[in-house]
Amino acid sequence: MTTTQSRAAVSNPRPSSQWLLTLVGVVLLVVGCLLPWAFVPAILGNVTVLLYPGAMQILMIIVGAIAVFFLLLRTGRFAAADRLLDSARGLRALSVTAAAFMVLAVVIIAMQAPGLANADPGVYVSLVGALLMVAGSFRMPSDPKVDPITVHLPSWVEIVVIVVMLAIALFGAAYALGQEDGTIFSLFLLFLAGSVVALARAGLFSWIGVIAQRNRRVITLGAFAVAFLFPFTQNGSDANMSIATQVLIFATTALGLNIVVGLAGLLDLGYIAFLGAGAYVSAMMSHSAFATIGWKPPFIVVVVIAACVSSILGLIIGSPTLRVSGDYLAIVTLAFGEIFRLTVNNLDGNNGPDLTNGPNGIPGIPELEIGSFNFGDTHTLLGIPLGRFANYYFLMLVVAAIIITIFTRLNNSRIGRGWVAIREDEKAAEAMGVNVFGLKLFAFAGGAFLAGMAGSIKAHQDVSVTPDQYIFLESAFLLAAIVLGGMGTVAGVLVGATVLKLLPEKLRFVADYRLLTFGLLLVLMMRFRPEGLVPSRRRALEFHEDDTKLAERIEEAHLEGMTKTEGRA
Amino acid sequence: MDQFLQQLLNGVTLGSLYALIAVGYTVVYGIVQLINFAHGEVFMIGAFGSLATWTLFFKGQTGLWVLPFMIIGAVLASVAVALLLERVAYRPLRNAPRLAPLITAIGISVFLQEAVRLFYPGAKSALPFPQIDLVTGAAFQVGGITVRRSAIFVIGALVVCAVLLWFFINRTKMGRGMLAVSQDPDTARLMGINVDRIIAVAFAIGAALAGVAGVAQGLQNSNIDFFIGFMAGLKAFTAAVLGGIGNIYGAVVGGLVLGVVEAMAVQFIPGTFGGSPWKDVWAFVLLIVVLVFRPQGLMGARVVDRA
Repeated sequence: MTTTQSRAAVSNPRPSSQWLLTLVGVVLLVVGCLLPWAFVPAILGNVTVLLYPGAMQILMIIVGAIAVFFLLLRTGRFAAADRLLDSARGLRALSVTAAAFMVLAVVIIAMQAPGLANADPGVYVSLVGALLMVAGSFRMPSDPKVDPITVHLPSWVEIVVIVVMLAIALFGAAYALGQEDGTIFSLFLLFLAGSVVALARAGLFSWIGVIAQRNRRVITLGAFAVAFLFPFTQNGSDANMSIATQVLIFATTALGLNIVVGLAGLLDLGYIAFLGAGAYVSAMMSHSAFATIGWKPPFIVVVVIAACVSSILGLIIGSPTLRVSGDYLAIVTLAFGEIFRLTVNNLDGNNGPDLTNGPNGIPGIPELEIGSFNFGDTHTLLGIPLGRFANYYFLMLVVAAIIITIFTRLNNSRIGRGWVAIREDEKAAEAMGVNVFGLKLFAFAGGAFLAGMAGSIKAHQDVSVTPDQYIFLESAFLLAAIVLGGMGTVAGVLVGATVLKLLPEKLRFVADYRLLTFGLLLVLMMRFRPEGLVPSRRRALEFHEDDTKLAERIEEAHLEGMTKTEGRA
Repeated sequence: MDQFLQQLLNGVTLGSLYALIAVGYTVVYGIVQLINFAHGEVFMIGAFGSLATWTLFFKGQTGLWVLPFMIIGAVLASVAVALLLERVAYRPLRNAPRLAPLITAIGISVFLQEAVRLFYPGAKSALPFPQIDLVTGAAFQVGGITVRRSAIFVIGALVVCAVLLWFFINRTKMGRGMLAVSQDPDTARLMGINVDRIIAVAFAIGAALAGVAGVAQGLQNSNIDFFIGFMAGLKAFTAAVLGGIGNIYGAVVGGLVLGVVEAMAVQFIPGTFGGSPWKDVWAFVLLIVVLVFRPQGLMGARVVDRA
């Protein structure tokens, strides 16, 4: 009905008919959320009460609020922010999200209530609102925006932005983990992904990325504070802390692998073997009844031994094979991973000495005890109980902090530059006097060392070690976390690891299709976004060599970084 | 002595199977310098293709005349999958950094395994493979050694395939084109060779042989499952490297050598490190040793460092 009007209004973009149409859509969406959606209280949390929105309805109200923010930008009254954000693209992504969310909500009501007879008008009002938003926003013209690198805000504003982002992340994570219902969790996921895409499309994330780059120390510390505070939001519930701990162990291992793959460019498909070696050493020296080594040193010593054993294995496998490059290294490391698995499977006393207890592995590994602190007990801090998994979570957080520090320090050091040189052109690097073999070996052994360290804790956290925990698929998963997140960046790996570990845990109803999706995801990522979700800029350029605009931006950012350090000196 | 001959026969049988799959790695590598990590899965698809042919059209039949149809079914399935892979996944990445196709291949590998496991009826556990007259059944004794009927089929299949492959490469226009592309793709293109088509043909040839290997594997082990491709693929890759990757005859020799080494390791390595639990370990150790001391492989056509 508004086609003719909107066509007439194209020449005058603000406040135009499409603007009004979108606004009407937003209002309908929010009003619908205040009305009940269904008669049955048991679905979608509880969406049956008038003027008392349930959690799912609040999500849509948040979408509405963001949409209003974008619409306000388009009135031209907030020129500073409008210059920075492309509100039309943001609105489009947002309205598609809202529409998909509402359609899904109707489908869920139809399937679970069961039948559409149980749907209340509210859900339709919101659906129509969302569709109007789509209709309106897709007619809006995009407006050009300035490159965020050139925008400088007062530093306190930037820090406030970071703090707000981190706080949202903490509460979002705590809320998402709290959802037991698969449908609610998927709706929340849709909302989260949609809002993130909308803000990213509007350019908010490239701006935040620039801010993050400028205030790296603040954001690192802040992220750790958030990660540290997370267990306190869980009120002693072990179910979520167990998932969080698994995510953290996975992420820590992936960070170690990222040094080898992301920085040095050596594709290691047997990395899980190093984790396994650490775990097995730790198990064999534990107080388990099945432990095969009589010597029981304190845990700190065990960690060091486990890490050393892993890195020695890394040297043994690395020193001959690093002379061959590329794909061959990948296959040799894969073969090594298989050798490790088969060996721990075989060493049961009948085939070779009894070290690993064969296919049964070493069960009953006791809880970790450092000094008088037993990791199995529940401790209470500030009145909040922290259970067994929270203890391991904190320990892994410390390990992750160590690995991240090592990672970033190495990345910015002479060694890191050497790795980048090797990764991009080995022959040129050698000609420039980079010690290619030495650096490769260091990356390999160093990565193995970190994995061994993580493994020694993992053994205690898992209570048992068995050969089938350390199969090739796990190596592939680690690699996928890096590829998905973005090679060579810390944030990317953390995102990738979280996505890969958290989603299967929460979306149990797709559990059977988990691996299928995983395989497809790898293929699609390589095809459409090979640099990952949070790419390092240099890496992105490697995959898009003819993107001159990207190259210029990286150059600019680099120059800015240089002048900044010079200014500081 | 009998024991030695027996293990030799076992080794050659096993090696023939490896060789059939290894050709697929080496043909593709020789032309596009790509390790088609998903090739093991193509072999697995071949095995399931022949099983599906039998279940759909010949269920209950055991006559030898069924076998050619089963082989055709296997070859069709594996070639179709391989061509699809090449077109959809590898071709768009031809100029991408080397990491990209390899990771894609891992993804495809997992995807194909899972697709078969989830969508092939009953494939969540091992499925029995049809028994065919003459090719399976009671083994017979020659001198002191036991000869299984399926072993004759496997070795025979390798011989026939090798002869056909030799003929194809050296006597047909397409085969000569393949040689030209593997030596210098740019010049070959200038000479009017359709490089894209040659690459597709390379994938198809490898897949056809893998399909035959799939039938052989089924007859040999009398059941198949969705996971057979992983280990077989890894071993066949080892065989290809052993023979010198890129060299087709090298792949055949490498496969046979690897098979014999495995069989001998089971019998002749003394102490507790011998026996079948360790045979895979020795195969992979052989791979690492070969890469260290003779990276160009036994027959060495191409230098490994090219990778």
